Amino acid sequence: MEMKKYCLISAIVTVLLSAVLTACHEVPQYDNDAAGNFDLLWKTVDEHYCFFEEKGVDWEAVGQKYRAQITPGTGQRALFRIMSDMLDELRDGHVNLSSPFETSYYRKWWSDYPQNYNERIVQEHYLYFNYASLGGIDYYLLPCNVGYIRWPSFDYSLGAGNIDNILVQFTSATALIIDIRDNGGGNMTNADNFIAHFIASPICGGYISHKTGPGHRDFSEPRKITINPVTKGHLIWGKPVIVLTNRSTFSAANYFAAVMKSLPHVKIAGATTGGGAGMPFSSELTCGWGVRFSACPILDPAGNLTEFGVEPSEGYAVDMTPEDEANGRDTILDFAIAKLTNLL
Amino acid sequence: MRKIYALFLAALLFGVNASAEDEPEVLRPVTAAYTIEGGTSHIADTYLSPIKYSGWTTSLRYERMQAMKFSPDRWVMQLAASVSLQRALNYVGNSTMWYAGVDFSWGMMRRWQVTPGLTLAIGGEAAADLGGLYAMRNGNNPVSAKAAVTIGATGYAAYNMKIGRLPVTLCWQPSLPVTGVFFSPDYGELYYEIYLGDHDNLVHCAWWGNYFRLDNALTADLHFGATSLRVGYRGMILSTKVNNLVSRHFTHSAVIGVSGEWLSLNPRRRMSPKARIVNALFQNQWK
Repeated sequence: MEMKKYCLISAIVTVLLSAVLTACHEVPQYDNDAAGNFDLLWKTVDEHYCFFEEKGVDWEAVGQKYRAQITPGTGQRALFRIMSDMLDELRDGHVNLSSPFETSYYRKWWSDYPQNYNERIVQEHYLYFNYASLGGIDYYLLPCNVGYIRWPSFDYSLGAGNIDNILVQFTSATALIIDIRDNGGGNMTNADNFIAHFIASPICGGYISHKTGPGHRDFSEPRKITINPVTKGHLIWGKPVIVLTNRSTFSAANYFAAVMKSLPHVKIAGATTGGGAGMPFSSELTCGWGVRFSACPILDPAGNLTEFGVEPSEGYAVDMTPEDEANGRDTILDFAIAKLTNLL
Repeated sequence: MRKIYALFLAALLFGVNASAEDEPEVLRPVTAAYTIEGGTSHIADTYLSPIKYSGWTTSLRYERMQAMKFSPDRWVMQLAASVSLQRALNYVGNSTMWYAGVDFSWGMMRRWQVTPGLTLAIGGEAAADLGGLYAMRNGNNPVSAKAAVTIGATGYAAYNMKIGRLPVTLCWQPSLPVTGVFFSPDYGELYYEIYLGDHDNLVHCAWWGNYFRLDNALTADLHFGATSLRVGYRGMILSTKVNNLVSRHFTHSAVIGVSGEWLSLNPRRRMSPKARIVNALFQNQWK
């Protein structure tokens, strides 16, 4: 009888203990109404977004401004508009709100700037529609004996052997142009794999840090990103290179431009890139909408933040002129060819 | 001197043999169980999402218990291994989270026969758990890896009874890790950074304040014959809070499987008529 009592007491203590201890690890839940979802979005961004300080955003004030627009009768589309307007205050191309009927984008990071790229002009007047394509990447040996590689997105992945097969076509070329205008990013590893063909020894590709807590200044020490050269037996390009950029060069392409700019035989020509130097995290709201935001700042090899873009090399800032575009000329590409053929 | 030494050695050997012959041979059958478990899973992991997920869990489990050689009547060991797969959905059902994991444990318990039908045991257990949560909608933070090596307390209460003429063994076994080490990514850390070599704040010393796990199994072995049907319930509560991240993982499963006692006999050696069988779970057979 005593033992049965002991067993019963043990069971009760165990259940109580588990209830008390697990209660310490609460995951606060928000109501699935307009106010609840708004508050969850605001809090998620408040605790995880990484560029409040750099952008001078008073998130508390932003929250108050847009929360005041929420009423019990706010419908889904109206709520989406209020939320996306609030997220636009971050001025960040890596921030999106996704619902079943719309995905929000902040577009001013590129729409307020000249495009500086016309794909049709390049394909028609420079590549004569006669270029080779491999895994989404186009390449062509220009008549001036300069190689041209068009990498439109770092979502496209090429192996070292594939890149060898492109570079070997340019063995006789005197220089190389890499066109990453309108490259909106993708996988940093794909950028690293390409950079590995332009270095002979390991280099610093920059630094990355992350949030260590919900405070706006809670960050880890930046961690060095080392990029190793391609393995022995693969081609390494040591001749002059010009990388063409525009404002729509973003995210992983922005990172590629920053790293390539640090190499002695590489110049960046065109316009300042669009930035996007925060690796985005994903989260969600009670209503099922997804949210994406910059979470891990990436610094360039010199330790500078490139969230606001990578500037062209000194003396290499060029915009496409409307006259050239009307005449089927690409001012930036012409500039790069002239530089590489010593005409400038 | 040499003669005295030889006599002493002979006396010692004969003495030992004589006492070994007096002791009846102890046979320690293995109580093994193979079970399939299925039920509900409730997951919250703030590295992946602030939303709680609910869904199903299924697992396969192997468990063996055996009286220990050095003191078979008092001490019993238990080895368990399981693999589980879980799928859960968020509140509105438009996002899926998967969990896959393996658990191993080895424990050693001291047991007491309290009444002829009731055996209680308490002891320690070492466990290793490895798994991962995968949030399908996430981009750069899709996975939350789970790994823990712990030591803790475990025990059981086994009760033999009969339902009509059917012998039944009821068993309740809780397991409570007390300390150990476990893995957690840092608050906003990418696995890419871990790959780059940032290993700060990844491994943590476990205590109840940051790592609380409680497993409960309530089973009934229905002894229809040499092989028994095992049915029951298994519940798991796992709650961690570290690096400003909270992870809660609860499962409730129905258990069904087979259990039985397996005895390895050496065909080249005759079993002693005095052999005594010491069961792994309880000390008395049904009367």
